Amino acid sequence: MKREQPQSFNTISVKERLIIPRQVMPEQDPLLRSGNFLEVNLGLSAEQAVIEAQRCIECKSPSCMDGCPVSIKIPDFIQLICNKDFLGAADKIKEDSSLPAVCGRVCPQETQCEEVCVVGKRFEPVAIGRLERFVADYAMLHSNGSPVTPDKPQPSGQKVAIVGSGPAGLAAASDLIKEGHEVTVFEALHEFGGVLVYGIPEFRLPKKILRQEVANLEAMGVKFVKNFIVGRSMTIQELMEEEGYDAMFLGLGAGLPRFMNIPGENLNGVYSANEFLTRSNLMRAYEFPEWDTPLYRAKHAIIVGGGNTAMDAVRTAKRLGAEEASIVYRRSEEEMPARNEEIHHAKEEGVKFMNLVNPIEFIGDEQGSVVAAKCLRMKLGEPDESGRRRPVPMEGSEFTMDIDMVVIAVGNGSNPLISQTTPAIKTNKWGNIIADEDGRTSMEGVFAGGDIVSGGATVILAMGAGRKSAIAINEYLKTKVWSVV
Amino acid sequence: MSLKQQIDSMNMNEIVDLCIDQEQQAIHLYTMARDQAKDEHAAIKFQELVDMETAHKVALQKFELENYLDLPPADLKVTDYLMEPVFNENLSTQEILILAAKREDKTAKMYQDLANHFTSDKKLNTFFQMMADEELRHKHNLETEYEKEFLQEG
Repeated sequence: MKREQPQSFNTISVKERLIIPRQVMPEQDPLLRSGNFLEVNLGLSAEQAVIEAQRCIECKSPSCMDGCPVSIKIPDFIQLICNKDFLGAADKIKEDSSLPAVCGRVCPQETQCEEVCVVGKRFEPVAIGRLERFVADYAMLHSNGSPVTPDKPQPSGQKVAIVGSGPAGLAAASDLIKEGHEVTVFEALHEFGGVLVYGIPEFRLPKKILRQEVANLEAMGVKFVKNFIVGRSMTIQELMEEEGYDAMFLGLGAGLPRFMNIPGENLNGVYSANEFLTRSNLMRAYEFPEWDTPLYRAKHAIIVGGGNTAMDAVRTAKRLGAEEASIVYRRSEEEMPARNEEIHHAKEEGVKFMNLVNPIEFIGDEQGSVVAAKCLRMKLGEPDESGRRRPVPMEGSEFTMDIDMVVIAVGNGSNPLISQTTPAIKTNKWGNIIADEDGRTSMEGVFAGGDIVSGGATVILAMGAGRKSAIAINEYLKTKVWSVV
Repeated sequence: MSLKQQIDSMNMNEIVDLCIDQEQQAIHLYTMARDQAKDEHAAIKFQELVDMETAHKVALQKFELENYLDLPPADLKVTDYLMEPVFNENLSTQEILILAAKREDKTAKMYQDLANHFTSDKKLNTFFQMMADEELRHKHNLETEYEKEFLQEG
């Protein structure tokens, strides 16, 4: 189907638009922010947003939407910004995304919508993510705390359980409630948001943003149940058979930390990124002793890994007072999976990067606390399957450095609880749930999506999976036809 | 008597039989592990290892060593510094990969050692070098799988 061209509110010629510089996001000063947990990016002003929106050249065949996993109508909402209709722009985004304020902050736009922006072929791409964030924040600010919700649909009489309140679960819940189903989200932790709340620090995604998004869903009628571990509190079968759920969506995420399996990983002071970030983000260890969760304040913390989780952990360690906080990464900066913005911010905040270095042992003192890391220097060899050049150890390059804290951020696996308690749901050899492209699992009525199926990925991909499953769940509830996975 | 001394007194067929025996030990070990594994996917992984070693054993029996003439890929050394898990029925896929890669490494080193010992005997030297290369090839495949899944560097 051919897409209709949005109404243009941009009166500037294309030639003039192309010379408008990309608007710079105001930020907290690096020196100041490395000592607090307040948000780093401060958001575009309304004037900046309009100028940035005017950079869009209104392509006849816009590729930006193809780069968005949930196909937000990017050209449409940008034109509404040009017209200063910020609430209209927010509504336009909400048609396809239930978490715009979140995605505007944490989505890797540079590898998605902005990567394929036509302006970006010759100039810097339109800052789509910053515009998304601006309108989402604007809408929140101007709703006076009372969420704007669509009219309630006719009840369908069908009950859907969503397991996990991360991005996949919230996106699925948002779409299913609009269909009139009774939707309940079950969360194992004491706060909603999944990885968005336990994994992403306050300085990147303030909790109040997420709480507002959850409040929006609650206002739409979604029920939220916390401290409820599906597989322990009740099994999937019990929920379906005893509680009468007609369908279920599993959006459990990949929350099982992986370790390196090198000597010394069980010493005191060696954390998984999951534990470290959960203590800080969810349990507010950075406000100890006001909040009752301790977290070691290191002199020299090293964080092993090169992804966004590693960046979050190292910047958290710095903010917690580490005199020195270093990334230890076995490849070079070019191969780092972390967003460029996060690497840039970390450097500004004084984080040291030890690239082409790999720990091979952690050494402890008599009390069993880590005091040193034995490492090897690496060199880059031929590219591997991911296309990144593979690190190879350099002979005789071993060295030891004094440290007093380690955070391992080399990736996450799937929690085995569901596969252990519900054998009818098939998993692959890595423990991920096997599901078809619409999220159908091997158990009738049970769908799954997000990291629990794909392994660790991005927030927006998880949301896309949640939305796709919501369509399939809706179809299943109407027809009760089930195709076996 | 050391392995090298044993081999000094063997003919080529006896040496090949000795290598087949090495493969058979590996097959036995992985079969046992497969049967004991509590996790279905761990059992599948062990079966893959059984298949890999069986193919190697069959090639040795047929003396189809021309299949192994290609130089092995670089030794990634991904698992060299990792702790070796102890065999048990609850091994995870991550532990199985470490265990198997370390085993291949040890066997490769043994064959390489033998190749170095028999430098003056061209036939034996080539044979052991090919065996060492093949074990390194196995190790490379296991480490590639390990790297892809367990070193995502998030």
